[in-house]
Amino acid sequence: MYDYRLSLLMLVGIFLISPVMMDWWLDDRAAWYRPFGIWAFLIALYIWFNSKQRDNDDV
Amino acid sequence: MTFSLGQLAFLVLGYLIVLFMTAYSVERDWIPRRWVRHPVVYVLSLGVYASAWAFYGSVGLASQYGYGFLAYYLGISGAFVMSPILLRPILHITRVYQLSSLADLLAFRYRSRWAGITASLFMLAVVIPMLTLQITAIGDTLYLLNNEWPVENLALAYCIGMIVFAILFGARHVSPREKHEGLVFAIAFESLVKLVAILVLCGVVLFGIFPEVGGLESWLIENQEQLARQQVRLQDGPWRTLLLVFFAAAVAMPHMFHMAFTENTNPNALRQASWGFPLFLLIMSFSVPPILWAGYYLDVDTDPSYFAIGIGLHTESAFLTLLVFMGGLAAASGIIIVTTLSTAAMFLNHLVLPVYKPAPRYNFYRWLLWMRRSLIAVILLMAYGFYRIVGADLDLSQLGILGFVACSQFLPGVLGLLYWPQSNRKGFLIGIILGTVTWVYSLLLPFCELALGWEVPFYLPQTDESNWHLAAIAAITINFLMFVIISLITKQTPEEEAAADACSIDTVSRPSRQPLIANNSNEIISSLSAPLGRYVAEREVYQALTDIELPSYEERPFALRRLRTRLEANLSGLMGPTVAHDLVTRYLPYQENVELTDDLYQIEERLEGHHSRLSGLASELDNLRRYHRQTLERLPMGVCSLAPDGEVLMWNMVMSDLTTTAPRDVTGSHITRLPAPWGPMLSEFLNSRAMHQHKHRVDTGGRPRWFGLHKAVMEPSGGQPGGTVILMEDQTDNQLLEEELIHNERLASIGRLAAGVAHEIGNPITGIDCLAQGIRYETDNPELLEMADQIQEQTKRVTRIVQSLMNFSHAGHHTAEHEPVDVTYCIDEAMQLLRLSKHSQDINFVNDCPKELYTQGDAQRLVQVFVNLLGNARDASEPGSSIWVQGEEDEQQIRIKVIDDGHGIPPETLDHIFDPFFTTKEVGKGTGLGLSLVYSIIEEHYGHIVFDSPLASGRGTCVTVSLPRGIDAEITYGNN
Repeated sequence: MYDYRLSLLMLVGIFLISPVMMDWWLDDRAAWYRPFGIWAFLIALYIWFNSKQRDNDDV
Repeated sequence: MTFSLGQLAFLVLGYLIVLFMTAYSVERDWIPRRWVRHPVVYVLSLGVYASAWAFYGSVGLASQYGYGFLAYYLGISGAFVMSPILLRPILHITRVYQLSSLADLLAFRYRSRWAGITASLFMLAVVIPMLTLQITAIGDTLYLLNNEWPVENLALAYCIGMIVFAILFGARHVSPREKHEGLVFAIAFESLVKLVAILVLCGVVLFGIFPEVGGLESWLIENQEQLARQQVRLQDGPWRTLLLVFFAAAVAMPHMFHMAFTENTNPNALRQASWGFPLFLLIMSFSVPPILWAGYYLDVDTDPSYFAIGIGLHTESAFLTLLVFMGGLAAASGIIIVTTLSTAAMFLNHLVLPVYKPAPRYNFYRWLLWMRRSLIAVILLMAYGFYRIVGADLDLSQLGILGFVACSQFLPGVLGLLYWPQSNRKGFLIGIILGTVTWVYSLLLPFCELALGWEVPFYLPQTDESNWHLAAIAAITINFLMFVIISLITKQTPEEEAAADACSIDTVSRPSRQPLIANNSNEIISSLSAPLGRYVAEREVYQALTDIELPSYEERPFALRRLRTRLEANLSGLMGPTVAHDLVTRYLPYQENVELTDDLYQIEERLEGHHSRLSGLASELDNLRRYHRQTLERLPMGVCSLAPDGEVLMWNMVMSDLTTTAPRDVTGSHITRLPAPWGPMLSEFLNSRAMHQHKHRVDTGGRPRWFGLHKAVMEPSGGQPGGTVILMEDQTDNQLLEEELIHNERLASIGRLAAGVAHEIGNPITGIDCLAQGIRYETDNPELLEMADQIQEQTKRVTRIVQSLMNFSHAGHHTAEHEPVDVTYCIDEAMQLLRLSKHSQDINFVNDCPKELYTQGDAQRLVQVFVNLLGNARDASEPGSSIWVQGEEDEQQIRIKVIDDGHGIPPETLDHIFDPFFTTKEVGKGTGLGLSLVYSIIEEHYGHIVFDSPLASGRGTCVTVSLPRGIDAEITYGNN
């Protein structure tokens, strides 16, 4: 079965701490495009993580 | 810089025609199917989310909330990142049960017509502000480009154009159940247009508007207040609320639901979309801050929401202005087309069809089509009405907030259907109604009061753009709390429980084996003809049978249950789950007062479907189940498992081989309906008291076969009422072997009898022969001499018969030692002997064997074999014909063929030629022991004999005698 409870808990956690993360993104000394750079990095990380998982697309 | 109305009309119409041709070329298969179904197309089609609010409104949002505008992109990206546990299960449910909208999904899960009606009505609160936002954006931009016509007229013209194109795009087909690949491709094309438009604008801003490369950074350093404004810390409340409402949009917004689930043609593309769509949104959002700062830098005199188009106007660049306009047009028209199509289907299924259905004599499909078209027009005209009354005075961000907060009211219901099987319809309905009332009271009315100066006769909270998130959170919280509390204190109906099992991601539904009243698929067509008409009923039943890969006529209970389930799903795609469920329940009812048991076959089928998703203990248990299943499947005995009512639940591979009946043709059938002779045999055994039955004879294909049957009764356990397992083994080989042994024993008895008889008869016959001889010497009377001759002739005949009997009786236990023998020489000798007979005068014997052909054996007995074979050949041949003997050898054995050109042996005779005393010759000419003797001698020499008759020419016989190859070193017989 999916470990969906853990995933949902993680989602709620990210949701709650997201303003703190935004503060870090919006650091005065940072370049204006830093949030987009971090976002792109997270997507790359997700693609890499996704490629490691077995293909079980049986919708 | 302005553009004429004609220019703009040409541009808008030209764009929409290109869009239509894109969709049309897909439908006509002018574009390769693999392109259309490519994941990139699916990802781009999801770009319908980036509406005019994303294209224009995000800049306004950024001017107001700084980087807070990213919530619009990050919220829904979060939903896609969570797609394995959020979107994929929904996609699975919508595909299996043919659910085309969120209202369908909720009505299906909560098994309530009111859930569908409430969801559809409330969806209006989501859709109207969203459509109004698009109309406002296009009306305003058209007005910016051409300020000759009143903006309201421009908006009306645009609305009428969109009604026509929405109908052309999505309501041209008779069956709304079909996927609109053309629409998907066209929406993907629109996403590409807006992506290109915004990237070109971003490029112009970064490398054209600011004086040099890196000019933006220099300008920001000089204008720190702009950067500070952008980096203003968004308060936690609005930020979280924005994230939540945009997260909910992934499943609750009708256009997103439609593109992500209803129009999905490639389920695996969702995997790519889980990162591809966030990437698309990243590219779209990256351009927003530069556009905003360029607007400030150039001091563009439009609202920040329209900086994108204002930059082009300010720089007097017609190309840039029109490109951005095209991007905005693509963004707005995409969402309008998809939203109206989706909402029209929703209204049809949940607001129209439950109230009115056309009479069966009308073409139901055509009626649905026209009703859908009418609803598209009504929805868009309602949006235009809202635009005229309210929308024009609300800005884009207010409209967006109204729409998105409204859509987030569906979130508790959606999460409940996936993760909380205990949630029920009462909780859902009360939650969403109270949440909606809160939304109206605390958000909609205050916004209207603020924008329009409405006055209401009761107290309203002072909601504005600074504290709207409190109203939104209040509405969602009340909805959520009521949903949980009411679900906990009230109970589900059994129907709802079954639907909850079907929707929950960690349970497998347990369908029961309740039999239908209808006995076959034709009766189902007749039953459905009453509400749907004969034509629609036939078409739907045949379509459902095709979908589940069953023949056009079915009468198996299992197949009829599957057909009913599929029919309900297909009709759900046509007229919504509520109406489909009511219709199927009423016209295809189950038998009552029947003990309900689980449909194990279907449960197994579903477990197989979920196999790759299982992990941990569930996966281990499933592996164990598969192991046991395989054990039964591969068991070298036929296994047939039966339900208490005689329905076949399992039919393993050996059973399939024994009966030449495939499992898929049998599973789900009643035992008595199996083809003869298996059905009668198994049902008779099932109903008998015997637990074992040995050597049950069955005639199949004109031949008898024998089977051993065993059964075990399973006691009820774990809620299962038990059943019976029947094992079947093929005992035909054993039976034939036993018969052969009995036959041999009989032959041995005959042999012993013959030996005794021969011995007893031999002595008196010798005496008679001697007496006849004596008479010949004692008299010259010719009559007596003649009589004595006849007596002697008859005694010789008796002696011959007795000798044959003696030979035959000794054949089985001949103890002579085997020595190397030249078979060719034996054949020559046999021929010589036969040539002495007057019957052989006209026959030409030809020995074509190689000179040295050796075996181990008794030469005299082998001569006897060939005398018999050649004698039979001679008797069957016409005078003057030839008999050939050919020989060959390999490393192991030698083969001798005796070939004649006689009349051959009839097939019915071939089976008996080796039987003792069997002869086709006239009485007195044959004893019927010759070939029996031959057979015995050949067996004694470890060889075998085969008769082939008639030959290809239609005549003649070929007898092949195979003997072990001997060693030629010490030939004792035939070397002289």
